[in-house]
Amino acid sequence: MSHHASPAMKLLAAPFLLMLAALVVWPLATVLIDSFSKGGVWSLGNYAEILTSAYYGQSFVNSLLISAVTTAIGVLFGFLIAVSLRYRSGGTRRIAMALANIGANLAGVPLAMALIFLLGLNGTLTIVLKASGLIGSFNVYSLTGLIIAYCYFQIALAVLLIIPVLDGIETELEEAASLIGVGTTRFWLRVGLPVVGRQMVAITTLLFANAMGTYATTLALTGTSVNVITIRISELVSGDVFSDPNLANAIAIALFLVLLVPIVVSQLLLKGDKR
Amino acid sequence: MTTTRHPALTTTLWFAAILLLLPVLATFLNSIATGWTGGILPSGLSLDAYQTILLDARFQSALLRSTIVAGLALFLACLLIVPAVIAAHFYWPTLDTWMARLVILPYAVPTIILMVGYLRVFSAPPLQLGGQPIVLVLTYVPLCFPMFYINVKNSLQALDTTELFEAGRLLGISDARLLRRVILPSIFPGIALAIVLNFAGLMSEFVYARMLVGGQFETLQMYMFAQRDLSGRLSSVIVTVYFLITLLITFAAFRLVWRTETKS
Repeated sequence: MSHHASPAMKLLAAPFLLMLAALVVWPLATVLIDSFSKGGVWSLGNYAEILTSAYYGQSFVNSLLISAVTTAIGVLFGFLIAVSLRYRSGGTRRIAMALANIGANLAGVPLAMALIFLLGLNGTLTIVLKASGLIGSFNVYSLTGLIIAYCYFQIALAVLLIIPVLDGIETELEEAASLIGVGTTRFWLRVGLPVVGRQMVAITTLLFANAMGTYATTLALTGTSVNVITIRISELVSGDVFSDPNLANAIAIALFLVLLVPIVVSQLLLKGDKR
Repeated sequence: MTTTRHPALTTTLWFAAILLLLPVLATFLNSIATGWTGGILPSGLSLDAYQTILLDARFQSALLRSTIVAGLALFLACLLIVPAVIAAHFYWPTLDTWMARLVILPYAVPTIILMVGYLRVFSAPPLQLGGQPIVLVLTYVPLCFPMFYINVKNSLQALDTTELFEAGRLLGISDARLLRRVILPSIFPGIALAIVLNFAGLMSEFVYARMLVGGQFETLQMYMFAQRDLSGRLSSVIVTVYFLITLLITFAAFRLVWRTETKS
């Protein structure tokens, strides 16, 4: 845009910047500052406790494990679904986008409840699978249950994010490849995937962050029984016997760093892409 | 499209669709079954449980609370975010670049992290509002930012405004007047889409509702959480009704997109 810079017009953004300062920067700053406070004095004690405690270490390991597995599944299926939708009519694509949007919004309490109806002790699918002798028993209130639950919104989110990225690959390119005898699978492995590689890395980091920060689905499905990072944070601030808000601050900062590093790296990669 | 359909891809699509719809189907089946004979087929079907839930005052109040909180937050978000995106687009490229980066904020800073900070911020002056519903209205505003930025920015980019501003200057019409009379009406579909999509997102918010305000102001999500151990039939009705609400909102959003697409 090449308009004459008009300083008065910049004032239109002032209320927004104030809001950002009050509702994003300020709370984040308090989390950071309070994370260095233990028993009323400045110290690295909270961080030392996270690093030495097997309990909090395990919560990070569990969160990382669930997030890595469901991100891989999400990206793989999201990519396959997005590729399949390229060969479909606009109507089918629109319905699929709407379904993926609904899937992403159902994450949380309703998703956990729906999965219990499907895979719980008396779940519809549990009964079918048991009757057919395929499984002896299945416990949905477990780490496996959480992985299945996360997969639902991870795949939905992946589809929503990948479809626009694939639109960047011209159909002419694919048709040309098809004319010289390059099959669909080879085209996507050799041409399609490398073209959108950096964007796929960025999407992967977002999916990973999405899983790491998941709380509602986890709490509604497994309560506090599976030791993951978000459940630990919420317990430390909820004001009962486990309460230690400053330790929660330190864990929140640790989580923030785990998410920030891959996101920043992938965004820098994307920037290099545009040049 | 002339490219041949790959059979494996078709299978993937069907497999995914069935897998993703299974929990919804199981929930719906539970909500209309009057009892089970031990197998997978119910002994009878009825919609009675729907009447029970839809007429339940607690459900109605929760739905109303969520709608009001989301509505107020969206009103505030419109007032704060839309002018800023417009100002950044036309007059402040540096801010625009930063806004584009901020779109990933909800991923980089999950609500669970901000929630810990909000507990502190809202527990002392000048924002000593701890536990009051207004806290939800305020904390929901930043959550609306990415959808507003993406959709308003898309609408702005679709306009050819350089000539418009030059013509305006020749005729002595101020930028402010042009923004209000020409730009704002033409980006309205983008704003409307952002509102609808954000509304669905805010209705599904749980972390702030539970940790910052809690059960004394029961939102729809908190109501569902409290009722999850209810008889399978009633809680499955609640999930089905919630699913239908989300379906309705999404359908409205996609109609908006479709209408603007066919117009242009």
